[in-house]
Amino acid sequence: MRKSNLKDRKLKKIGIIFFSILGIFWSLFPVYWMLKSSITPDNEMYKLNPSLFPSKITFIHYKDLFTQTKFMTNFWNSLYVSIFSTAIALFFSIIGSYAMVRLRYKGRLFIKNSIFFSYLLPASVLFIPMYIMASKVGLGNNKNALVIVYQTFIIPYCCYMLMSYFVAIPKAMEEAAYIDGCSHIQALIRVILPIALPSIAVVATFAFTLSWNEYLYALVITTSPSQQTVTIGISNFKYSDTFIWGLIMSSSVVASIPAVSLYMLAQRFLKTGLAAGGVKQ
Amino acid sequence: MQNNLKSIERKLGYTFSFPILFLVFIIIGFPSIYTFILSFTNKRIGYPYHFIGIKNYVDIFKNPVYWRVLSNTIIYTFVCIIIKLMLGFAFALLLNENFKGRGFVRVAMLVPWAIPGMVAAHTWRWMYNDQYGIINAILRNIGLIDNPIPWLSDMKLALIAVIIVNIWRGIPFFLFSILGGLQTIDSQLYDAAKVDGAGIVSRFLNVTVPSIAPVLTITTLLSTIWTFNDFDNIWLITGGGPLNASSVISTFTYETAFISNQMGRALAVAISIIPILIGLMFVANKLLSREDK
Repeated sequence: MRKSNLKDRKLKKIGIIFFSILGIFWSLFPVYWMLKSSITPDNEMYKLNPSLFPSKITFIHYKDLFTQTKFMTNFWNSLYVSIFSTAIALFFSIIGSYAMVRLRYKGRLFIKNSIFFSYLLPASVLFIPMYIMASKVGLGNNKNALVIVYQTFIIPYCCYMLMSYFVAIPKAMEEAAYIDGCSHIQALIRVILPIALPSIAVVATFAFTLSWNEYLYALVITTSPSQQTVTIGISNFKYSDTFIWGLIMSSSVVASIPAVSLYMLAQRFLKTGLAAGGVKQ
Repeated sequence: MQNNLKSIERKLGYTFSFPILFLVFIIIGFPSIYTFILSFTNKRIGYPYHFIGIKNYVDIFKNPVYWRVLSNTIIYTFVCIIIKLMLGFAFALLLNENFKGRGFVRVAMLVPWAIPGMVAAHTWRWMYNDQYGIINAILRNIGLIDNPIPWLSDMKLALIAVIIVNIWRGIPFFLFSILGGLQTIDSQLYDAAKVDGAGIVSRFLNVTVPSIAPVLTITTLLSTIWTFNDFDNIWLITGGGPLNASSVISTFTYETAFISNQMGRALAVAISIIPILIGLMFVANKLLSREDK
């Protein structure tokens, strides 16, 4: 009995090590390959039998990226669009979620449901309507159109997350504020916001990455490099059908840095379980 | 006084939810209805249009390419979801164990989710490259193949190639949702099952699975909706090719609208899948509102 237990435990340990290595390799190899390709000289990159490790390291792709291309413009555009769309969405989502969770008025449930359905409404269905709307209101090929269009997925996402956080805050705290003569708005600012601030920061982080990573709307709405974001900028590094892999890989590395670092910061604070499932893959 | 307070609350409620209503009805709703109407026209970018009734719908339903694309979409969604669910579950069980280095494995396995989707797509496209790609190089070096595999230009392989990338990106979503569920299971349940003489398999089936069943359903459903509508991945890796072999509804819509310049018809394609989507959404809404209680 004891012996078999020991054997079981050993087997389990081997299993854990095996699957851990498998998981790490599977998850990180493509990332390694992107990094490796971004510092590999062209003559070594376009070889029939690429080696796993670079024999020579070069930063020429990065140098080209920053000096020869419009990538930095795209980068600033992405930053502009992500910051503004997140800030706007956050403001409206905070007051909206507060109202839906705490205030009593007719039609609340209807609004909640409509947010949920917008949350699930995919870009693949909405991209033509959004494209047509942007051109109709004179915002075709304008990065500000993205700030507006991104609200269609950031606001539902933020509301969905914030409502679950706000509901968890004990009502007694606000009631004490009301007795002290606070209005609803004061209760929101002085009681709810301070308590929810860490969760709001997490939601903001994910909202930022959602808009940073967006591709389809940016593809149809913006057409000139001065308005395009990084997701489009990277795909532009090709001559007709020939891809310039050095530039694509180095720009991919640069474009991943903000999203990955924010993710890593925020994931520690992420509420586990269902709320964790809120972020689109 | 009481009435007055209630009316203030009501007014504030409407004021605060007004931006959301504006978003849902004006920014999303109005263009959606407008484009629904356009799906009954022969709209092209830069040309005047007129109504042609349901011709767009008749045309796409008669087009064998449409059915090919729809079946690709269903295969893509189904295969991706099954494998993501199984692997996500397996790795969640792994990370639910206590072992040295768990923190590192956890962070490593989160990376594919954190990487922007189009970056993942480009990187995989490069790895799939038939001449210079690392995947063929590795397979050749360990002696599995003699000639390079044309991952992205083979009619049969292209869809598999994009499925693999979607799985790579999607496992962490399942992993972390399921892991969250696993961590809420009361360990006394396991102890009780052990006392009753239940083995590992029986404990898994009778304790683990039922305890996290709600998380499993909702995670699967949300991911089904997103996988069904995946665009970046397929568009940037194969462009839907070769000859629509890996084309799905979203890429087909884009191609019809912006490359063939048949906006009206593209809208008919996009609208044709709305019944499927609405079905999935209603189920999701039912499940999630049950979860709230």
